[in-house]
Formats: sequence, C-alpha cells, structure tokens
Amino acid sequence: MPKHIIIDTDPGIDDSLAILLALASPEIILDGIVSVHGNVSTEQTTKNALSILELAKASHVPVFKGCDLPLVKESLLSPETHGNQGLGYAQLPEPATQPKAQHGSDYIIEQIMSRPGEVTLVCIGPLTNVALAIRKEPRIVQNVKEVLIMGGAIQSPGNTTAQAEYNTYVDPHAAHIVFHSGMPMILTPLDVTYQCVFTKDDLNRLLKINSPLTQFIADSTRFYMEFHDEYQSIDGCVINDPMTLALTFMPEICDYQDLVVDVDISTGVGLGNTFADFYNYEKKNRNMKVALGVRPRMFMELFLERMEKLAREIS
Amino acid sequence: MTPTRIILDTDPGADDALAILLMLASPEIQLEAITTVHGNVTIDKTTRNALALLEFLNATHIPVARGCTVPLVKPSHKQSGEMVHGTSGMGRTNLPEPKLKPIETHAVDYLIERFLAEPNELTLFAVGPLTNVALAIRKEPRCAQAVKELVIMGGAIRSGGNMSPLAEFNIYEDPHAAHIVFNSGIPITLVPLDVTYKCLLTSADVERLNKIDSPISKFIRDVTADYMAFYLKYEGFAGCALHDPLTVAAIIAPELLSIESHYVDVDVSGGVSTGKTYADFMKVTKKPANMKVALDVKGREFVELFIERMENYAGRAG
Repeated sequence: MPKHIIIDTDPGIDDSLAILLALASPEIILDGIVSVHGNVSTEQTTKNALSILELAKASHVPVFKGCDLPLVKESLLSPETHGNQGLGYAQLPEPATQPKAQHGSDYIIEQIMSRPGEVTLVCIGPLTNVALAIRKEPRIVQNVKEVLIMGGAIQSPGNTTAQAEYNTYVDPHAAHIVFHSGMPMILTPLDVTYQCVFTKDDLNRLLKINSPLTQFIADSTRFYMEFHDEYQSIDGCVINDPMTLALTFMPEICDYQDLVVDVDISTGVGLGNTFADFYNYEKKNRNMKVALGVRPRMFMELFLERMEKLAREIS
Repeated sequence: MTPTRIILDTDPGADDALAILLMLASPEIQLEAITTVHGNVTIDKTTRNALALLEFLNATHIPVARGCTVPLVKPSHKQSGEMVHGTSGMGRTNLPEPKLKPIETHAVDYLIERFLAEPNELTLFAVGPLTNVALAIRKEPRCAQAVKELVIMGGAIRSGGNMSPLAEFNIYEDPHAAHIVFNSGIPITLVPLDVTYKCLLTSADVERLNKIDSPISKFIRDVTADYMAFYLKYEGFAGCALHDPLTVAAIIAPELLSIESHYVDVDVSGGVSTGKTYADFMKVTKKPANMKVALDVKGREFVELFIERMENYAGRAG
C-alpha cells in the first residue's frame, strides 16, 4: 500500500528535488503540496511548486498556498542561497495552473481529519502552516500518521546562525509548537543532511540523459553549488530535503535515536537552536526520533536512479 | 446615530460577562457576534458561558464561534483563572446548560470572513488572550487592513502586573499572540490595568443594584461574588475591577478616558519580563505609534455609568 504524503515546502532548490523524488517514487502517493514562506516569498514558492509539477507533467497534484510570514519573528528569506526566484539559475515558465482556494493549513487539517492515521506530512520548510493547523485543530495531533521534518542542527553547527539551522531559525516559535505537540515525528537535522553531498560527478551522470528534468536539476543546483563552494567550501551541494522525503519509504538510509528535543525561543544568541537532552535529565517524554547516522551513498544512488527514471519518462 | 457594530472576542469570565451585559445595555453598540477563546477558564467553559449568557439575556440571535484551546507558544496556565472567576468561570451564578450551540465555523475563520466581507465596518473588541486574533492575522494578512478598530483589554503600562510583577493576565497568557497583534498595523486602542484598576465596583454598588428585583441584578451579584472574594483576599478591598467593561467606554463614553498615542510592544524574550507591555514614551526606538493607550480614567464616573446602564437594563428585564 503506497503511503499518502502531503509536502509542506518553500521551493527552494532542494525542495524542488524533494517534490521530484516524491513524483518518481511508486512507494508513495503525493496527495498535495502546501507552500510556505522561507527560501523566497510564499507568492514565489507557490508559483515554483506549480512550475515544478508542470515540468514533471504532474499538474494533477493540487497546490495550496500557506502562510506568508513567520508566527512571531520578522520575515527572513534566503535569496543568496536559492536565487531571487528560489530555483537558482533555472528559469521555468510561468505556471499555467493555479493554487487551490483553500488555505494550506486548512488543507492539512481537512486531509488528516478525514483520513485518520493515513496521512504523512513531510515538512521541509519553516513550520508555520503546521503550527497554525495544530493550534486551530488540536485533534490533528492524534490523527496524523507521521511527520517528517527537515530542520534543526543537533550536534552539528547551524547554517544560518552559528547554532541554528535555517528552517527552525526562520520560525522558531512554530517549531516550538510542533515539537511539543505530541505528533509522531522524525527529524532530519543538518547532522545527517550535510553528509549527503550531490557532486558534480552525480550531476554529470544525470546529464547523460537529455531531458528538461536533468536540465532543470543542472541549472538549479549550479547556483546552489556555487553558494556551497563560496560559503561552506563544499564541492557540490547539500540536498537536505529529498533525503527527508526518502525516509518515508526507505527509513534504513538513517539510524535514529529517540530523544527529547526542544528549540530555543528565548531571543538570545541561541535563538532557533535545536537541542537534544541526550541524558534526559528532566525525565521528559521523548518527543521524536532524530536521524543522527546516515548512509549517504544509499540515499544518493536512490535519488540518482529515481531522477534518471523520471527524466526518461518526461524527455 | 448609527450604533457601532462590534464583534467581541472573549473568555467569560466574570468581568467578560459584565462587558457583554454593558454592550447589550448600550444603544450606542450593536453586538453582532461573539468569538470565544481559552483564558480565564478552558475553551469548553468560556464557550458554554457565552452561550448560556446569551440565552439568559434573550440574545440568542448573536452567533458564537468557538476559538483556540491553548496559547500559541507558551504552555497554558492551567486554570489559575478559576481562583478569580470561580470553577465555572461565572462565579456563583448557576445558569442552565445552554441549548444554543456554537456555529460550525472556527472563530479564526469567522473573524476573517466577517472582516473581509465588510472592510472597515466592524470594530473588534478583544478582552481575553489574543490567540484567535493573532491566528486570523497570520492566516489572512488582509485582515489587518479590514478591521476598523481593535479595542483590547490588556497590558500594564506604568501599572504593575496582576499575573507576574510586570505582566497583565491577558497578555501574559499569550504574549506571542499579543506581539503579533500589536505589530500588525490594525488601529488599536489599549485599555490596560493602569485604567481598569481605577474602576472598582464595590459591594455597596452591587447592593444598590439589587434594590431592583430582577434576574439581571441577581446575576451581577452572583457573578461578582467569587471575583470580589478574590480581590478582598489578595488585593485588600471589598469590590472588583471592571477590567473588560471599561473597554466599552471607548465607544459609549470616550470623554472619561485620557488617551495617548505610543509605540507599545510586549516582551517575548522568555525572561522575567515575559508578557510585560511597555510604551516607548521617550521615542527611543523611533518607531511610529502603533496604538492609542488609555492612561487615565474618571474611574468613579465610569462605575456610575455602568451601574445606571445596569439599573435600566435590570428594570427593563423586570
């Protein structure tokens, strides 16, 4: 039985790759995409989600526009990482399709409540929509199947402040709401995503197939690779989001620990830092599984094979 | 004069109930809907209390939409309000279980719907924690331009707090929501403890009201009973502050309030001053004023006005 997935996302280069991986994976059914502010504005992330679906000939997947701003903090976009339009050097045509009228957070509520125990959320942007949904309809906590979150940096340093990872830094209050909600969660923090580098060799392998899809991956990741080279001295780019998606059907890519994880919302230098209480001094209930070990090539081979297959299908 | 059209977001609550009574007793006001929120007591109780009160007052044409259960980010205070407002939230009143039900729409969506349907026509009164209002703003940012005015009972500017040494209850209960609302651009009038503590309804006032033999005057006596006992025990006087009813003065007797425009924000840093509302009197932040703040009030005159309106209301209700 394929798993039903909703992706909450701010595409975003690696977000786009996660959407493509979802479409290329028979183990899951992508029911819908919810957009959120983050890498670029919600206006733009919504357009990008629609454009990527069109590129992959998957416009049957509905897109729902979500929140424009973080809950409490001021907005923080990241055009230097993802380009002004959010997709690096890729120039996709204006989408012909429109987002649905329903708000993203209401779509999440409706889907989870109408099919208790069946819907898996894959959250790869700031958690604003999910937090809002939890506060509006607390019963989704008991009725969601599972929530996979790309976010945080447990023992790893941050990529946005010295301590904080981008998604949790942008809306730490939303992360706080979600982390403390009681939903069954799997976190993929920078600790594991930074071990999965998409290299130029990987890209060249994909480019052996002549397809608009491989061209998109090349154009979008070239910008991302330049950023990672300039700021982080990484040859290639880190594709955080598709790995989170892959764990919905191939959990063996990672090793997990059940931990008590919280996020700092105290507005000091640690704002947005996600931290685990490894010794559980306060004897709190462990609130999530955290991926702390990873088999990077297992993931990368899966990703490359699936992209090759999808590229052949739509060339 | 056309009455001011109002939606009330509230967590009844003894003084919330008195605010509803005052609104219904005032021809200057047309109360069009109530949205409920967690706060003084749980959302189940605040919603039940709103419905029961409307039935009691023969005002069942006013729809009630149920709102948020817990604060945005902070843990809920877990019923500390019961100490002040009684276990039910309505003191020693014993209103029957309401037949009236809340409407299907969630309070957050109801607020969005109403304000977008009639931009700049409706005034919002928020006399509980600001969770519903904050979520409405984040879910539909155009709300901020569509609200004519927002009158808030909350905060303590120069006054001390009543929940922590620095913070007032409604703001302390959901400081993050208050931060969202204060910085939203909605035209706000704030009615903080600085003025509400100057409006004390005494036990003598309640006795005077009860010279009129009416379910209304009896209700006021019962709903304030626990509230007054709390004030006597903790704050040392035989009466209670008319926190929420004083917001109504912004419409029916603005001349009683001394109002200044200031930039006001709320501390969400997580330190000892969490939930503290502060005004930038010296303009050190260079931020433009985001609200009008009531900093003084002719307290006894307001209490007299309140009693007169209640006497009329009780007289009419027989």
